[in-house]
Amino acid sequence: MPILNNLMQQLVNGLALGGIYALIALGYTMVYGIIGMINFAYGEIFMFGAYAGLVLALTNYVNVYTALLGATLITMILGVVIERVAYKPIRRSSRLSALISAIGVSIFLSSFMVRVKGPNTRGFPTLFENRIFEIGNFQITIYQIVIIGVAGLMMLGLHLFVTYTKMGRAMRACAQDKDAASLMGVNIDRVISVTFAIGSGLAGTAGVLAGIYFNAVQPYMGLLAGLKAFAAAVLGGIGSIPGAMIGGIVIGLTEILGITVNLSEYKDAFAFAILILVLLFKPSGIMGRKANKKV
Amino acid sequence: MSLLTLDNVTIRFGGLTAVDTVNLEVKQGEILALIGPNGAGKSTVFNLITSIYQPTEGKISLDGKALTGIPTHKIADMGITRTFQTIRLFPELSVLDNVKIGAHCRGKAGLLQAFTRLPSMKREEAEMEENAIKALEFLDLDAKKEDMAKNLSYGEQRRLEIARALVSKPKILLLDEPAAGMNPQEKVVLMEMIRRIRDTGITIFLVEHDMKLVMGISERIAVLDYGKLIAEGTPLEVRSNKAVIEAYLGSGKFKSRIRR
Amino acid sequence: MKKLLDNWLVQFLLFLCVLGLTAFITDAIGDVLPPYLLMIGLFIGINLIMALGLNLITGVTGQLSLGHAAFMSIGAYASAIATVNYHVPFLGGVLIGGLVACLFGIVIGFPTLRLTGDYLAIATLGFAEIVRVQFTNMKITNGAIGFLGIQGSTTFPIVMTIAVITIILMVWLENSRNGRAMLAIREDEIASSAVGINTTLYKIQAFAIGAFCAGVGGALFAHTTTFIQPTDFGFMKSVDILSIVVLGGLGSIPGTVIGAIVLTAAPEILRPLANYRMMVYGVLLVIIMIFRPYGLLGGVNLRKAVRRAFMLTKKKQAGREE
Repeated sequence: MPILNNLMQQLVNGLALGGIYALIALGYTMVYGIIGMINFAYGEIFMFGAYAGLVLALTNYVNVYTALLGATLITMILGVVIERVAYKPIRRSSRLSALISAIGVSIFLSSFMVRVKGPNTRGFPTLFENRIFEIGNFQITIYQIVIIGVAGLMMLGLHLFVTYTKMGRAMRACAQDKDAASLMGVNIDRVISVTFAIGSGLAGTAGVLAGIYFNAVQPYMGLLAGLKAFAAAVLGGIGSIPGAMIGGIVIGLTEILGITVNLSEYKDAFAFAILILVLLFKPSGIMGRKANKKV
Repeated sequence: MSLLTLDNVTIRFGGLTAVDTVNLEVKQGEILALIGPNGAGKSTVFNLITSIYQPTEGKISLDGKALTGIPTHKIADMGITRTFQTIRLFPELSVLDNVKIGAHCRGKAGLLQAFTRLPSMKREEAEMEENAIKALEFLDLDAKKEDMAKNLSYGEQRRLEIARALVSKPKILLLDEPAAGMNPQEKVVLMEMIRRIRDTGITIFLVEHDMKLVMGISERIAVLDYGKLIAEGTPLEVRSNKAVIEAYLGSGKFKSRIRR
Repeated sequence: MKKLLDNWLVQFLLFLCVLGLTAFITDAIGDVLPPYLLMIGLFIGINLIMALGLNLITGVTGQLSLGHAAFMSIGAYASAIATVNYHVPFLGGVLIGGLVACLFGIVIGFPTLRLTGDYLAIATLGFAEIVRVQFTNMKITNGAIGFLGIQGSTTFPIVMTIAVITIILMVWLENSRNGRAMLAIREDEIASSAVGINTTLYKIQAFAIGAFCAGVGGALFAHTTTFIQPTDFGFMKSVDILSIVVLGGLGSIPGTVIGAIVLTAAPEILRPLANYRMMVYGVLLVIIMIFRPYGLLGGVNLRKAVRRAFMLTKKKQAGREE
């Protein structure tokens, strides 16, 4: 059954790609859920994570786990610093000014990387030998297994964190009503910092995974990846954590599907075409709650 | 003569029946109040009349013309304007602009007129401004016409909302808790104002919690409880109605506490 | 005197005088200014025209659009195809660019303007990306290689005259029934429809006019650079235009003018910083937003401010006379 095998193959490829998008999308959706802001700099944090992984990997002392962990930690700190410096002072003003500020941050980060590491695409050092497993007629690489595995584990961890920890409960409370949560003794600043740390960490991890998977790192890689991840978050229903995961995987799968049906020139448009189609029929995304018209 | 008619109107949100087979007539030129405990569905009735919600069953009509299925923005043109329970002004615009926008449905100028500024458009603008200032004078706000709406005091904002609703010269004015948040003096002024508006020939239909105000100005009162109309009549009749007293104070029986 | 000024014909003649004067002055300036500065001036004008369009959509009507570059690219390609392939005269090409973009604005507006807030933002962003990818894969646009051989017909006086026309029309629009309806939609959609405003209609009007401006800007851009390619109109271009509007002060026409000047000139002024230029530019955006979160002229009522300044000097004079 070649068609079935091909389909399985594309499913695996799409899942791996979608896992990367989903990790970035989670950051978008968490920050949006809590402070209602689109943090456009996430794409650049993802890029930063990829470079952090690259630098760590080049030191020869690290294996894949420490590279992942290191990059995650670096981007977590970066995320918190960005929030403190560029977003916190304007938290009370209009969302558009926060958006422009975020865009300023992303311009800064990508041009910073151009300055430090040059504008060219860099290969990623081999952290571990890639192997190909053949199952029937379709193949799965170790890289794909790692990506799907790591992405899955992180999402599970996030779910457990948000559902069962005190901090997670505080985050959910803030998403409902920040002022009320604050009156109940929740430290809003800390919740926001933790949210940024987690979101950025996820994006950083995704960066390293993408670097390994595509064997390419580039200062402007964050832009399109970030936009697609944002599309994924909205597609799933922004503010919803399972929505971001579903959205990421849907976008990944569509993109791979587009390549399979020989429309790879259009691959960057697929994510957005699907997004617009879904929004037209479900204006608040797949998992998004229908905004109630309050009068 | 009946001006606004609600005919067996029902709306359900999921499993909840917010308004349940309500029959109600608002007569030409009267002041009618709709009262009821919190969550009885009073504001929902207003939202149904202004087509923000569509009834699940039943019909609403103004002067014999059906309102059901008509988009919200055409309701004002037909002669129904309203205020909101939580004030909904255009906060970053001037008081005068707020009122001018209220007369939107009485204007005709389109894009072409905006870009050519022909004499006809200027006449319309001048007329609109004159009407707006008259409405502001009527509600004693003309001194503040250049202020931004968000900088007005609470009572002034409530009055501005009424001015905005009045300027299009509606047949019927819906007031959703106009006295909410006002102090006793402001309430007295408000009562006087509502009477004066009615005397210009505009029918008043209001939702209100303040019993003193309701009993003071309404000619008829309708009582809503859990979406059902339980009483209708003059203030005196309603005050002594057994069902009304029960709805407000509870019957003292356990049953009524768990009706939900 | 006041009555005379109220006469329509007098006003129309005045309008023409202003345009003539603009053309004359900018022409004279063009003769003395070095070409490099002239080029910056030209781009300020083009960016201003496009930003005024976006200001109507986002600043006045309150609909966040992240895809303005799409309308710009449609205008650019449409006008380039018209002038190069069909030998349409330059100004005709500019008009065609505006009209085609406007048409797309209406077609896209109908389904997407049902969306609100960030959902609309991402839908417009997605639309822009789709348009860009489409242009990359079309034969008539010469795909990713780019469209070559456009006449460099755009001149400084033409751009400035069109910019002045746009400013005047925008001021008129804002002070009309339509403009007030658009402002009302930004402030409160439910209250707007309760007073009888057809919110969809006015949103589409704003979108169509905004897209028209972007199309005209794109056409002027194409006939300035003489070469266009899809990457000229990416997401960052939309961001550039949006930054002008937000930085100047949402909904403020004078703010948009200042924003266009500052943000078009800033990268040029920062040029001596060489490799650090874009980093500084990014930091600048953040700093301005922190210190002026509502934009440079946000919350400033210019007419009121001028009047107050006027009253103050009057009072001072009166004081002195005493």
